Amino acid sequence: MIYTLWKKETESYFSSPLAYVLIGLFSLISGTLFFNLLVSYTDNIQAIPQHMAQGISFIDEVVLRLFANINFLFLFFVPLITMKLFSEEKRLETLDLIWLSPVGEWQLVLAKALAALTLIGAMLSMTIIFPLIIWGAGIQDFSLLSSAYLAVLLNAGCYIALGLFCSSLSGNQIIAGLLSILGIMFLWMLTWGGHLNSNYLVAQIFSYIGITSHFERILRGLVGTQDLVYYASFMFLFLFLTVKSLGRRNW
Amino acid sequence: MDKILEVDGVSREFPGRMAVSNVSFNVLKGSIHGFLGPNGAGKSTTMRMIAGLLPASSGTMTLFGEKIHPDNLNLKNKIGLLPENAPLYLDMPVEKYLTLVAKLHKVAHPKDQVEKVISELSLIDVRKRLIGNLSKGYKQRVGLAQAIVYDAPFLILDEPTNGLDPQTVVELREYIKKLSETKTILFSTHILPEVEHICDQITIIHQGKIRASGNLPEIHRKFRQGLVLKVGIRHDEALPDLSELGKYEITHEHTLGLEKQYDLVFENDLDCRADLGKLIIGRGLHLMTLNVESPELEDIFLHMTELRK
Repeated sequence: MIYTLWKKETESYFSSPLAYVLIGLFSLISGTLFFNLLVSYTDNIQAIPQHMAQGISFIDEVVLRLFANINFLFLFFVPLITMKLFSEEKRLETLDLIWLSPVGEWQLVLAKALAALTLIGAMLSMTIIFPLIIWGAGIQDFSLLSSAYLAVLLNAGCYIALGLFCSSLSGNQIIAGLLSILGIMFLWMLTWGGHLNSNYLVAQIFSYIGITSHFERILRGLVGTQDLVYYASFMFLFLFLTVKSLGRRNW
Repeated sequence: MDKILEVDGVSREFPGRMAVSNVSFNVLKGSIHGFLGPNGAGKSTTMRMIAGLLPASSGTMTLFGEKIHPDNLNLKNKIGLLPENAPLYLDMPVEKYLTLVAKLHKVAHPKDQVEKVISELSLIDVRKRLIGNLSKGYKQRVGLAQAIVYDAPFLILDEPTNGLDPQTVVELREYIKKLSETKTILFSTHILPEVEHICDQITIIHQGKIRASGNLPEIHRKFRQGLVLKVGIRHDEALPDLSELGKYEITHEHTLGLEKQYDLVFENDLDCRADLGKLIIGRGLHLMTLNVESPELEDIFLHMTELRK
């Protein structure tokens, strides 16, 4: 049943120009970013004495920055993908079709989340050329590159779960999209709030609740259980809230 | 006949208003049950509750002996619903959409079933077209197709012919009649002739309350104000005393060209047309009209809704 709904949602994305516009735009922006990071790195290397240049890491200056920027792009791209998922169904009253069938709320929510993740996957697949270039340049750190991809995928998963919840709250796509953007920004600000707070315990709590610290650790290849637990619980919480939000309106 | 649906004392309250109040009625197996009421009477709310899409504030509803509840998976494949706004994915082609619905309801051979429904509802020419690009009539056919594609034995059709062109209306009515050979149908409308054309039983709802429920002759019997005999004689003649036929009352009289017409109501709804004709002619008068009038459903409906104003 999840497969049937996932297929329907994915086909719905790819039957409209939106998916292709988003993929094209994402490739263009991320490609420009990668190019600029490479140019800036080589300029820096050439501008300073050789003994100092060894201190400038290609990984830090290009790879990590690139994936951090991709994460920033998701602030706008993920809400654009998720905002219609429930809002449009509410507007067109098509959820009746699902509630009349033996499909459960969890199945529907998971299918929609997976379809959004599929589109994100398609967007990220356009960036495969960057690791190939990096690989060709001699930085053959497969584990670092795969953990960087894992980090952006996990972040995207969280943003999708949050976006789905926002979409389930409103029949208006614009409102759902804006709520998602605000929600993601709030997640980032939690970490910054932790940095600004002088109380150690409060700072630690903010840091754990915020997504950025977990993202940065995985991005650097430090895939820890606490981070994976954080991501799993975050996604579960917002998917659960989405299920509850749908249930509240229907029975 | 067996009762398929039993609605008992069902109410539904929305913030600030009572949409449906203490509604009770039954739907019999194999019937087309007309659910009649003006706009805003509570028809759609009641139908959504029966379909398990909206909870009742109080009361019970059973379908095929099972309590209606969204978690009752047994009932999911037994109810087909065409709501007022058909739940259509406008970006999907007709055939794909119907296949999706069939798969969601775990139909054993979805392709065969979709093929059958597409052919029955004359959707062959538009099967590959996007639903969003279809005319209103075709969209409504697709809406009906999704309600029957998984072969549910109980169909709820909420104003299925509303706003369609006359030809489509006739075709859909005929199809619904054909469907009733194998299914039980609860059919809502505010178009009264439609009910008389296709329904075996009716329930009239007004301001969220049931005003009448039963088969059409029963409703007629219950709500007519006495059997009215219409008699017409020449305008310059006077109606003789008819008390030898029984106690009677003249409820209305008027002149229509060369004819003077009287509406007579005899005690105990006596239909004494034969004796009446014989008596009038026997008195040497010119009998021009003699018939019995039973009130139209429209009269009953207006009478009932006006009574409560």
